[in-house]
This record gives sequence, structure tokens and C-alpha cells, in this order.
Amino acid sequence: MDGLERPIRVLIAKPGLDGHDRGALVVAQGLRDEGMEVIYTGLRQTPEAIAAAAVQEDVACVGLSSLSGAHLELFPEVVQALRARGADDILVIGGGIIPDEDINALKNAGIAEIFTPGSSIKQMADYIRQHARTAQLPALASFVEGLDHIGIAVNSLTIAQKLYKDQLGAKEIHHEEVVEQGVRVSILRMGQTEIELLEPLHEESPVARFLAKRGSGVHHLAYRVKDIHAALQAAKTAGFRLIDDQPRRGAHGKWVAFLHPSSMQGVLTELCQPREDRQS
Amino acid sequence: MNFQESKNAWEKKVETEIGKRPERRKEFHTSSDIPVERLYTPNSEESTPDAYLEKLGFPGEFPYTRGIQPTMYRGKFWTMRQYAGFGSAEETNLRFRYLLEQGQTGLSTAFDLPTQIGYDADDPFARGEVGKVGVSISSLLDMQTLFAEIPLDAVSTSMTINAPASVLLAMYLVVAEQQGVAWNKVSGTIQNDILKEYVARGTYIFPPKPSMRLITDIFSFCSKEVPNWNTISISGYHIREAGSTAVQEIAFTLANAIAYVEAALAAGLHIDEFAPRLSFFFNAHNNFFEEIAKFRAARRMWAHIMRDRFSAKNSKSMQLRFHTQTGGSTLTAQQPDNNIVRVTVQALAAVLGGTQSLHTNSRDEALALPTEESARIALRTQQILAYESHVGDTVDPLGGSYYIEELTDELERRATQYLDYIEQMGGAVSAIEQGYMQKEIHHAAYLTQREIEQGEQVVVGVNRFTVENESTPELLRVDSKLGAIQAERLAKLRQERAQEPWAKALADLRSGAEGDANLMPLILQAVRSYATIGEICNTLRDVFGEYRPPIY
Repeated sequence: MDGLERPIRVLIAKPGLDGHDRGALVVAQGLRDEGMEVIYTGLRQTPEAIAAAAVQEDVACVGLSSLSGAHLELFPEVVQALRARGADDILVIGGGIIPDEDINALKNAGIAEIFTPGSSIKQMADYIRQHARTAQLPALASFVEGLDHIGIAVNSLTIAQKLYKDQLGAKEIHHEEVVEQGVRVSILRMGQTEIELLEPLHEESPVARFLAKRGSGVHHLAYRVKDIHAALQAAKTAGFRLIDDQPRRGAHGKWVAFLHPSSMQGVLTELCQPREDRQS
Repeated sequence: MNFQESKNAWEKKVETEIGKRPERRKEFHTSSDIPVERLYTPNSEESTPDAYLEKLGFPGEFPYTRGIQPTMYRGKFWTMRQYAGFGSAEETNLRFRYLLEQGQTGLSTAFDLPTQIGYDADDPFARGEVGKVGVSISSLLDMQTLFAEIPLDAVSTSMTINAPASVLLAMYLVVAEQQGVAWNKVSGTIQNDILKEYVARGTYIFPPKPSMRLITDIFSFCSKEVPNWNTISISGYHIREAGSTAVQEIAFTLANAIAYVEAALAAGLHIDEFAPRLSFFFNAHNNFFEEIAKFRAARRMWAHIMRDRFSAKNSKSMQLRFHTQTGGSTLTAQQPDNNIVRVTVQALAAVLGGTQSLHTNSRDEALALPTEESARIALRTQQILAYESHVGDTVDPLGGSYYIEELTDELERRATQYLDYIEQMGGAVSAIEQGYMQKEIHHAAYLTQREIEQGEQVVVGVNRFTVENESTPELLRVDSKLGAIQAERLAKLRQERAQEPWAKALADLRSGAEGDANLMPLILQAVRSYATIGEICNTLRDVFGEYRPPIY
């Protein structure tokens, strides 16, 4: 990994002979202002040359622009040239004067999305962040070690503990009040699996709000990571929506940080790392 | 109370009002960031008869602010000239004849990109582009088809062609010859403006120096052989489309024009020999009054440049004649019928600004090339302005408007500043080589995009007043098999043409290009021998090299 703060790299390219580059230039600058690293090919590029540049520059996304009506021929050729180079993980998007009725054909040919006149830079940037991150993922993936625990919100620790201990044979390995979070925590172990039961201390606690909205149930999944600062930075760069910008102290001597459910298929997700000064 | 006291009192009263009911914005600006006042009133220094004569003059008289002809549209309307061309020469020939039947008064030819960049339709670089944005012309055969049954002494034809302008002009002249029309009876325009290709439009081939030579060769050839031909159409249109402001549009266009004049003088031509055939091409954008003022300011500036700087004596050399096209980049893909209204307002600005000819865009141009129906509505828009609105019944009807006159002055002042700066950089060619114009335009384009995204600039149907689930209109499709059909025709042509004259013509062209002969006669010879546009341009590429844009 060369640097975790590496921004998403995008190649903006003009395939064919079209000379209209106002859109390409404006998008290139706009994506730069959105924090991405953008390379612009200049005019009159063949699909081959675009694919070669994309691979050489190790970009996560290629944005194609054509206003001359040659998109149906040229955009798919870029996708094929990327595939021929084994670079089919690069996200290809396009824009220009493109009739609606062509959009499906382009999508079938592997162009992920088409942005027609009137699209905003923000829309494009968000789309790229959400869809081009596979190319950036090794950064975050390389920190994740596995499931650490399952967090369950409960109204009464006593009742829940009884269920897990008496009926399922779990053993409590830790018990703690985390005042900053307004919760009382009981950590239970069953075989390899840890369960974290969370009971609110008062009504202002986030867990209390969760319970009021949804009742008791799975609150979050927590993954253990190697270097939580770097992992969080990698998640941020890859476009995840973060709840915590910085790791904070969680229960059981861990650093924790949460990712928003909207980035995680609806699951509130915790990244955690045992603290070095931890006392079990 | 005298005037100033009355005005002050009025302003004071208004300020109080505004405290209660604020205006829509704190400050109002034009597209060029010129502040717009609440009200414009007479200015005592400027409204003297002497100041009038100096700044405005009479129509048809220096400095031509009010128009280049004394009677303007009371004499005849502007030429309604719709840019058209797509697919094969046969298809475009049909569209031309349709437009002429509908009352259009001049032709304007759009060529496809391979033609514009000097590639034959069967060149690998032409893949996917044949016939897409204009008609595909690879050889004299295609040109004969394009103008079949159109008498070239009865129409004037404008051709949007730049880097290979000599080749297309040569083809046109040979077709005229074959129709039995003498060259001094043909009239029309080639765009032939390479500098703005480097700046904004992108269909360059050769580096600036040999490109300027091709252009001055045309000036010189036509001044003797084709006296009614407009040898260049110096274009601000594409500069504006690329995102410039109105001020930049005037300034960069005139800076390029100055560079052409200097190149022609350096090639030994006399100013009044070629300058009367220089023509211009501007954009008609959204900011209505600023656009009208822009045309007037450009006319006045050009008159002064030609008289004071280049010592032109012929009044025709000082008259800025221009074509206008409504602003393509203002059209929206959303609710495309709204574009008809945008085009109407822009076209009205062009007419009030005194244009010589006009293209009105079609409503569907943000989606595809125009359908026949859309093209007809666009032409009808001009006809309604001309025949029903009566805006052409008096000359320069907005002349004397306090606002228009102040805007005209301010645009001139700001454009002159740019011109001075470009002069310090060593002129337009040097400024372009350093990427200066490109950067200025790009900066303006990016500001516009941000203002639109932040909702500061309203685009109806895009960032306000939107609708969900729009229906999509019928669009024009270009046959994608055309590339293959053209390739077959070219193979046949290459086999059937007489080889010897063809080879000799290209060899002569090469040695002419290596020396300093006027290239027009040599290109005419090559065209007559059925050399293709690709063969002619590749011969010149070998000698001149190709342009590589600066990295900035």
C-alpha cells in the first residue's frame, strides 16, 4: 500500500475526434475540488490509448466524454480494451450529448453510469466514491482481521444475561459502565464468539433512542482492525460515511469508531482495536 | 431642483423602500461580471452631439456602432442561414434542398469530424465519427453529390471548415466550374479560423505557423480569383461555447483577427486588398442587453483597429460583418421545448445587435442533431422575428438607450484591457501557445458551473422548475453503416482514378509546401485529380508536422 491517504484517481478522457472539452475540463476540475486526483488525456484519444493510460496511471475510474454522437461505438471499445488488459475493476462512466435511448445499450456494454447535460459535479463525485472504491479497498481490507463482536441493544441486562447465560451457556467475561456512551455493557463469550449486551443508563443515551425506535435487537457488528487510525482514514478516503472521524475509547479497553449504516448495507458497523494499555 | 438633485432625491427614496422590501439580489451583474445599476440616466458629458458622432455615428458610417449599412433591415432582412449537414452527401443534399424550399436564403455546411480534421472516411481515426456531426466528404465525388441540383451562382454557401479549409474551398470551386459557374459569380464563406481551434474548438491539424500560411495563401488567391468569397469567419462563437464571458468573446476574437491581419501583411498583402473579405462569427447568449451591447462594441472596436492601427482606407475594411448563432451551450436536455423560447430571445438579441446572418439552434440539440421538424421550427423562429415582430423597421432601435450605451462602453473598455494584455504577451498566437486564452476561458466556465450547481444561476428545468419523468422526443439517428459505405466508395475511387495525374499533383503539392509557393492552385490541381482530403492533408502533415496542444 502506497500511502493510505491516496485520493481516488480518475482519468477523464476524450475518445474519438470530438473537440468539445468544456465539459471534460469542468468535470476534471470539479472532481479535483472534491478531493480526487484527476488526469485529463487531452483530445483525440483512441480507446486503446485511453485503456493504456488508465492502467498505467492506476486509476479507479475512467470518465469518458463525447459530444459528437460516436459514444455507441467508442465507449464500449474502451471497456473492451480495459478488459483485454485485465483491468475490468476500473469503473467506467460517461457523459456528453447522449440520448436516453442509448443509455441502456451503454450500460449493457459495461459503462456503469451516464451523466447527461445538467448533471452536477457533486452527483458524479458521489457516484464515483460509492462505486469506484473497489480499486481503493485494499487499503481498508488490509486492516480488517475479522468479526470482533455482535452488539445487541436490550432494555434489561439482567433479563438478557439470563437468556444468554442460562439458555445458551455463554460466559460473562467483562462488565462495565461506559459513562460517555450512557450504557452499561456486559460482554459474553460463546466459543469463538463475543456478544456485547448494551443497556442504556438514561434516556439520552444513543442506545435508549435505538430501543425507543426499534425495540431490542442487533445494534451493531464490530470488526477488529489492526491500526484503527489508518483503517478509519482508509474508510474515509474510500467514501464511507463515518460517524466518528477519530477513534474513541470504547468498552473493554478498545478503541472504537463507527461507520454509518448507509455505507454498510443498513448495518451500523464498528471498527475496533484493543488498546495497548488495556487491562483486562 | 436640477437633474442631479432630483436623481439624488429619488435614490434616497428608493433606498428607504428597499429597507422594507429588499431587491432580489444585493448586486446585479452581467455574464462578464459588469455591475448592473438599478437605473441608467442621461449622462451630460456623453449626450452632446459631438460625443454622439464620435461614439455612435450614423448607420453605415464610422465607427459603425449602429450598423454597417445605412438602412439595415429596412433594405433586406439578415440572411437566414441554418447550419446543416449529417450522414452522407446524398442525405445532406436533400436537407439543403428542403431548407431552400422552406425559404432559407443561404446554405451552411456542417462537416463531420474526420473531414474537419483531414481524415478520409476509411481512416482508422475516423472510426465511429463518420457522418455524425456533419456530412462526410472525402473527395470531389462527395462534393459533387452534396451540391447536385443546387446552382452555385444562386446561393451563398458557408462552410464550417478550418484546418483543411483550402481543400474544401478547392472542391467547391471545382464543382462550380463543372456547373459552368465562373468563380467571380460564387459567393460564400469558409470559417478558416485556425486560432480559435487551438483555443476552443479542437479541430486543428498543423502547427500555427504553416496554418497561418495556408490562411494567407487563401486570402491572396481569393482576392484575385474569387472576389466575392469571405475568406475567413473569425469566430467568437466557439470561444463563448467553451465558457468565456461576453468580454472575453470580443477580446479573444479581435485578438485573433489582429493576428490574421498581421500575418497577411507580413505575407506582403495590402490591407485593403484582403480586409474587406474578413468576416466574423459571434454567439448570441442569454444575457439579452449585454449581448446586444457586445455586437455594437465589437463593431466600434474593429472600426478603430482597422483605421487607426492598420491604416485601412477602404470603409469596407473597417466594417465588422458578422454571422450569429444562438448559444448551443444554453440549451437544456431537460424539457427541450423550452429551448425554442431561449433561442427566440437570443435571436432577438442578434437582430437588435445588427447581425448580417443568423442561425437559430433547434430545440433538440442538447440531445442529438436536429430532426427535420425541429430544424423547421428554428427557421420559423427567425421568420416570425423578421416578418411579424417589426423589430427590423428602424435601424439600431436600442441605440441611445442609457443602459445599452453604457454597457457598450463598458464592454469595449474591458475588452480593450484584454487586448492590451495579449499584445504585451506578444499577440494572439503567443498567448495561445502559452495557454493563456484557454486558461481564462476554462476559469470562466468553471465559475458558471459552480454558480449553476449552487443555484445562483437559474437554469429553468435544470436547477429550478424541474419535472419528473420527462417524455423523450423523437431524435435524429445517423446511419452507423455509413463508415463502411464510404470506405467502399473510396476503395473504388482509388482504383478507378487516373494514377499519373494524381501522383503528380500530390508530388507537386509536397514540393510546393516545402517551398513557399501559394498552395491554393496546387490543392486545386490535387482535387481535380481526385486526390482525397486524407491524401492531401497527409502530404501536408508530412511537411508541416502536427500541432500538439500545450500542457497547462
